[in-house]
Amino acid sequence: MGKVVGAFATSHSPGVTGWPERAEPRKREAIETAFGEARRRIDELKPDAIVAISVEHFTNFNFSNLPAFAIATADSYLGPVTAEMAEFINVPQHEYPGNGKLGRHIYEFALTNEFDPALVEGGLAFDENFCVPLKHLDPDSKYPLVPIILNGVNPPWPTAKRCYDFGEMVRHAVEAQNEVQRVVVIGTGGLSHWVGLPESGTVNEEFDRDFIARIESGDPEQIKNYSPQEIDAAGNGAHEVRTWIAAAGAIGAPFEVLAYEPVPEWLTGTAVAAATPGLNL
Amino acid sequence: MYSLHKLLWEIRKDSELAKRFRSQTSEVLNEYGLEGDSRQAMLTLDFKKLHEIGANPYLIYFCALQLQVGRESYYEQIREGKS
Repeated sequence: MGKVVGAFATSHSPGVTGWPERAEPRKREAIETAFGEARRRIDELKPDAIVAISVEHFTNFNFSNLPAFAIATADSYLGPVTAEMAEFINVPQHEYPGNGKLGRHIYEFALTNEFDPALVEGGLAFDENFCVPLKHLDPDSKYPLVPIILNGVNPPWPTAKRCYDFGEMVRHAVEAQNEVQRVVVIGTGGLSHWVGLPESGTVNEEFDRDFIARIESGDPEQIKNYSPQEIDAAGNGAHEVRTWIAAAGAIGAPFEVLAYEPVPEWLTGTAVAAATPGLNL
Repeated sequence: MYSLHKLLWEIRKDSELAKRFRSQTSEVLNEYGLEGDSRQAMLTLDFKKLHEIGANPYLIYFCALQLQVGRESYYEQIREGKS
């Protein structure tokens, strides 16, 4: 039986890799140390695949088709999507490996378990959503990915409860197959930030710390009951915390927040978290 | 709103369209059937107005960047309005 052996959640601000030096040195060190610890734990977990959950910033989808959830089943993914973005976020453009078979399994499992995600068999390219955190978490791109995209960029968004339940469904899907034994789940996005809006560059530390307390509590009800209005108070970019909530559903255990720093220079409340209940630390 | 969003997204994805938009703005707006407030806002690149009429902020911002508007200029305009 396959198993979700660990879950991680991180911000994916372009500044983390694109202009790390603009942050206060102490904050940069705290975040990069936390990413290093997360990377160490992922390697120790020896995953056979990573289910990577994020939003995408109109890099692939648009208002012709904007799915609430989409599961990708390709065997490779281009990222960053353009040479310009590669330069902007300081990540070399390359192909990331995919585990299309596991993606297909999760997609089919979803359809028979009350979820109806979009199917993406190919053509999905990455932006900062995956490229920024994976530069720290899997710098050699050695782990095959199953990318899952949820809508965090335009209302109406899937509810927090629906995102948590989707994560639970992913866990059950992993457990319902035997081929891929050890699966790590990563959620990326948030915390508070504003994109394209007057508030850009500010951080809602109160929201961020409350969110951290809830994600560390391990109590599903505390994260499932977020309203869109509550999240909106932390910016249009804060809606990406749905990816953390889905990751929480996938592991079903409390997260340990390895670092949180409000970093206006990166335009986000920036955090790295891990839930590795089975790991000998 | 769909036509406006379609134009914003396609400018962001297609540098040739962005170039053409800058040199033949009215023609491109005709092709996308933009009229009224959205047409006026795109004619003048009034990003604050685009936001006020309900365009998605990500798409406004990304389109602005593709049209060679600097990040600082964009945010100055979105905060203070077009001068």
